[in-house]
Amino acid sequence: MATEVPAFSPHVPSTELRGSGGLTPPGPVLTRFFGTPGLYTLAVYRDHGGYRSLERALKEMTPQEVHAQVKASGLRGRGGAGFPTGTKWGFVPADVPGPRYVVVNFDEAEPGTTKDRYLVENCPHQLLEGACIAAYAVGAHQVWIYIRGEYDHPYRILLEAIEEARQQGILGERPFGVDYPLDIQLYRGHGAYICGEETGLLESLEGKRPQPRSRPPFPAVKGAWGRPTLMNNVETLSTLPWIVEHGGQAYHALGTDRSGGTRMLSVSGDVRRPGVYEIPIGVTFRHVIMELAGGPPPGRQVKVFWPGGSSAPVLPASMLDVSTDLDELARVGSMGGSGGVIVADDSRCVVKAAARLLRFYAHESCGKCTPCRVGTDWAVRTYRRILDGEGSSADLQILDRIQASLQNGRCLCGLGDSGGWVIMSTMRHFRPEYEAHALRRQCVTGECERQGAADA
Amino acid sequence: MALSARAIEEIRSLPPRFPHLRSAVPPALDIAQEELGRLTPEAMTEVAEALGLDPGYVEGVATFYTLLHTQPLGRHHLYVCTNLSCTLRGAEEICHHLRRLIGVKEEREISADGLFSYEEVECLGACEYAPMLRCDGRYYYDVTPQKLEALIQGWRQEAGNGD
Ligand SMILES: Cc1cc2nc3c(=O)[nH]c(=O)nc-3n(C[C@H](O)[C@H](O)[C@H](O)COP(=O)(O)O)c2cc1C
Ligand code: SF4
Ligand code: FES
Repeated sequence: MATEVPAFSPHVPSTELRGSGGLTPPGPVLTRFFGTPGLYTLAVYRDHGGYRSLERALKEMTPQEVHAQVKASGLRGRGGAGFPTGTKWGFVPADVPGPRYVVVNFDEAEPGTTKDRYLVENCPHQLLEGACIAAYAVGAHQVWIYIRGEYDHPYRILLEAIEEARQQGILGERPFGVDYPLDIQLYRGHGAYICGEETGLLESLEGKRPQPRSRPPFPAVKGAWGRPTLMNNVETLSTLPWIVEHGGQAYHALGTDRSGGTRMLSVSGDVRRPGVYEIPIGVTFRHVIMELAGGPPPGRQVKVFWPGGSSAPVLPASMLDVSTDLDELARVGSMGGSGGVIVADDSRCVVKAAARLLRFYAHESCGKCTPCRVGTDWAVRTYRRILDGEGSSADLQILDRIQASLQNGRCLCGLGDSGGWVIMSTMRHFRPEYEAHALRRQCVTGECERQGAADA
Repeated sequence: MALSARAIEEIRSLPPRFPHLRSAVPPALDIAQEELGRLTPEAMTEVAEALGLDPGYVEGVATFYTLLHTQPLGRHHLYVCTNLSCTLRGAEEICHHLRRLIGVKEEREISADGLFSYEEVECLGACEYAPMLRCDGRYYYDVTPQKLEALIQGWRQEAGNGD
C-alpha cells in the first residue's frame, strides 16, 4: 500500500519527511528542533522555548521595537516576490480605527513548492507564534490562516494546535496576562492556484470568485473585508520567533548582505534525495542540488533547473554555481521565488516540460485579463502543434509574441508574467531544442519519441 | 436532490463566524457537497436561500474551484497530480495504469461499479514524494503501479466487490 497520511491522527511525527528533519542535520533557524518527537504539540514546543518570543514581545517590547528587529533582520518575503518584510509592515497604517487583520498565506500551490506544508506538519506552533508576533507589531488582534483545500492533514494539525493554544490562554483575551487579545481562525481554500496571489486570496476569503484586484489600494490599506491587512507567507511568519529571540542582526548575519537569514528550499524532480532543506542564503545551487539532494540519478547530468518554483525563469546546468542570494538570482535573469527547486536531467525534453507548465498557467488563469486568458491558451495550442510534429518557424515566432505580451505589467497579476517567463527562459537557454522540434520534428533527447508527445 | 434540515441549519449558523456574510458561501458549499456528494442545482439554490444570497452568485463561486463538483463522482475520487515534478517521476504512467485498473477512458468517468473516478490535478505541494495522489482527504506518496493496484484492490474489498 502506498504510504498514507492517516485521516484523523495529526500525531504522525513527520519523521519520514525528507530533508532537514531526516537526512541532513537540522538547519539553524526554522528547522532547529525538527526531528524532536512530538514537536507539533504545544508542550514539546514550549519545552524548547516555544512562545517565549511572543511573551517577550507582548511584555517587554513595543510594536515599534518588534518592527525594528524585523527590519534589521533583512528578512524578505518567502511567498514569491521576496519583498522586504519590514518594509511591508510599514505600509499598514498606524492610525486607522477599527479592525485590522493579519492574513497568513498558506495556499502553497506554486509547482515545486512544499516547504510550508513541511513547516506546519512539523511545527505548527512556530507559525502560530510568528503570526501572533506579526499581529502585535501591526496592531491586529485577529489572524486568518488561508490554507489550500487539499491540505487536509496540515488543516487538522493547525486546528488542534489552535485549540491547544486557546486552552492554554495563549490565544484569548489576555495572552500571558497582557491585555492584548489574540485570536486565530482557519479558512479553507477549494483548489485554485490564483488564491495564492494576495488579492485573489482576499477575494476568496471574502467568499467571492477569486479574481485578483487592481492595485492600489494595496491590501495593507484596504485588504480583507476592506480593512487594513498584513499578508505574509507561512515561512516568513515562522521565522519571527527566532528573530525576536536572537535579534534581527543575528538573523541577518546568517545570510547575505541583501538577503538576510536562511530559507527553505523544496527540491524535487530528477534528484536522488528529493526533500525540503533549510539553507543559509548564499550557498550555491550546486550545493543544494548536488550535495543536499544528492544530484541526478546515476549516469545522468543536470540539464536545467527552476530555482524558485515553476514561475521562476529556468537556469541551465552551466549556471549551477549561481548563489541562492535573491539579488544574484535576479542578476542572472531569474528569481528566488517560492524556493521550489525543480531539477530535470539530460534525458528530459525542455519543450515538453515547458508545454506542461503552460497547461498549468492556462488552466489556472482566472480569465480576468485578456493577455493572460488568451495568451496562455494560445501557447498551449502552439506547444501542442510543435510537439505533435506539426510546428514551423511561425510557431516559434508566435511563442515569442505570446511571452512578450504576458510580461511587464500587461497583466493584472503575476500569473501572466510567470507563464511568459517559462516560455522566454526555456527559449533563451534551449533555442536549439525548440528549433529541432519545430523545424525538423526532432526531439533532441528522444523523450518525446519514447513517450508520445501527445500527452504533454 | 435536496439538503437535509440539519445541513440547512448548519449553513444558517455560519455567517456570524465571519466579518461579512459572503465568506460563508464556500464553507456552506462544503456542507452541501459533503452531504450529497456533489453540488446539485437545487442544493446551490438552497445554499443561496439559507444565506439570503442570489443563486447565480453561489453558482459562480462553486464553479470556479477544482474541489467543488457539480457532476457526480465515484465513491473514491482520486486526484492524481500531473504537474512537472510528478510527471518527471512517472505520473503519466500512473494515470495510464489507473485508467486500466478502474476501467475508465477519461477523467471524471465513473467506473462500472460506481466505486472510482479520477482527475488529473495541478501541484499538490508534496513534490518530494512524487508521484503522488490525494483521495478521501489523504495523501498517498511515492505511488507506483503496484501500490496503486493494492490501493484499488483494498477499496474493492472494503466495498465487498473484491475477489
Ligand atoms: C499567481 C500567484 C500565486 C501565488 N501563490 C502564493 C502562494 O501559494 N503562497 C504564498 O505565500 N504566496 C503566493 N504568492 C505571492 C503572494 O501574492 C504574496 O506576495 C505573498 O503571500 C506575500 O507574503 P510574503 O511577503 O511573506 O512573501 C503568489 C503570487 C502570485 C502572483
Ligand atoms: S494575469 Fe491571469 S490570473 Fe492574473 S488576473 Fe489576469 S487573467 Fe487572472
Ligand atoms: S508536482 Fe506533484 S505534488 Fe508537486
